[in-house]
Amino acid sequence: MAKSMKLLLRISIILVLVLSSCSTNKVVQDYKSAPLEKTSLEVPYFANPTMDYVYKANITVYGNELTGIFIAKKINDTLHRVVFTTEFGNKLMDFEISETDFKVNFIQEELDRKIVINTLTNDFRLLLRKHYAISEQYENNESKVYMALDKDRMNFLFVSKSTNKLSKIVHASKRKEIINLFYTSEKDTFAEKIVIQHQNIKLKIELNYFNQQEN
Amino acid sequence: MRIKNYILVLFLVVFQFKSLAQEQKMSENDIVAFKQSVAIVSKKIKTLSTDFVQYKHLDFLSKDIETSGKMIFKEPNLLLWQYKKPYSYSIVFKNGKILINDEGKKSAVDIGNSKLFGKINKLIVGSVSGDLFDDKEFSISYFKNKDQNITKFIPKDATLKKYIKQIELTFDKVDATVVQVKLLESSADFTRIVLKNKVINGKVDETSFTN
Repeated sequence: MAKSMKLLLRISIILVLVLSSCSTNKVVQDYKSAPLEKTSLEVPYFANPTMDYVYKANITVYGNELTGIFIAKKINDTLHRVVFTTEFGNKLMDFEISETDFKVNFIQEELDRKIVINTLTNDFRLLLRKHYAISEQYENNESKVYMALDKDRMNFLFVSKSTNKLSKIVHASKRKEIINLFYTSEKDTFAEKIVIQHQNIKLKIELNYFNQQEN
Repeated sequence: MRIKNYILVLFLVVFQFKSLAQEQKMSENDIVAFKQSVAIVSKKIKTLSTDFVQYKHLDFLSKDIETSGKMIFKEPNLLLWQYKKPYSYSIVFKNGKILINDEGKKSAVDIGNSKLFGKINKLIVGSVSGDLFDDKEFSISYFKNKDQNITKFIPKDATLKKYIKQIELTFDKVDATVVQVKLLESSADFTRIVLKNKVINGKVDETSFTN
């Protein structure tokens, strides 16, 4: 009798553990749930249509390094133009990206692979996205975390409590993180440094904003 | 009727003026003389160093992307292309290798006998020295305006053609050296490189090419 009670207890403890770990995503497991303050969040970093967003880019993919210049421009409400060139200026790729659609204007033959185009399109879409509809909120001492559903995936947006700036986006499935996006922003209008770190493939994209020289 | 004529004349005058300001095709004699003067200068070149400003023009941007730096060449095939502003990035062609220094992070690419890189090396040196005319790789046309001679090179090679639609070299009429290199892509976008403070046959140390 005592034995079966112990077994029952053990099973229920395991059940509780399993269930509770399911209920909160791992991304926010160290954060506590908080009441929803807002239903949407706007990301300002690539939102200004008058601005040329020009970054020095370093891409590390499975141990290989690729460098160049990353250029993004908001063309209209839904569309961004994204171009990646070498330091010498020759184009490696030229995309038009919206939340639902994309078009390849140009891609260098060596890069013209479905997996490359799909991966980068997803990354750039996440990077350039402005509007998020928030459905859950979490927090700890440093950050507020807003959760936005993204089809069968989710995006967790980390906003620093001290600066009130978006510092990180985690694109995740129900079980694990897929892409981490880190922002360093002094000004509110753009991010000086951005790191896109993939968790499931060995791909890291680092972007450093460079100021145009004044003549 | 009179007004019509007046407009026609006005149009012709304006048109004429515009065509004067623009470049004209060189005559056969012009071409021979021009090629000679460039050949004399470029044959003399043992070393060459120059500052450059690179303007990347993308039609959808509000402003060209500006980067600048220094280029050094030493016979027969040592080449340094170095960006200093707004970031530091340099590339050296040396003994069949490309040495890259990206903000202190160094790497090397063995190009061995890669034909394409051989062509690119030749192209960069040729572009800056102006010595591209005997190149069978291009079909060439010649133009001039008041102060400058302009040559347009269209690649024949299929591989090169994918990267560059046309190269335009602008020469100063007085000293017959290249002052601007313009690389046109297949669309309306291009890279324009302006060369300044050119020094021909100054002392150039081998250490410039260590990267």
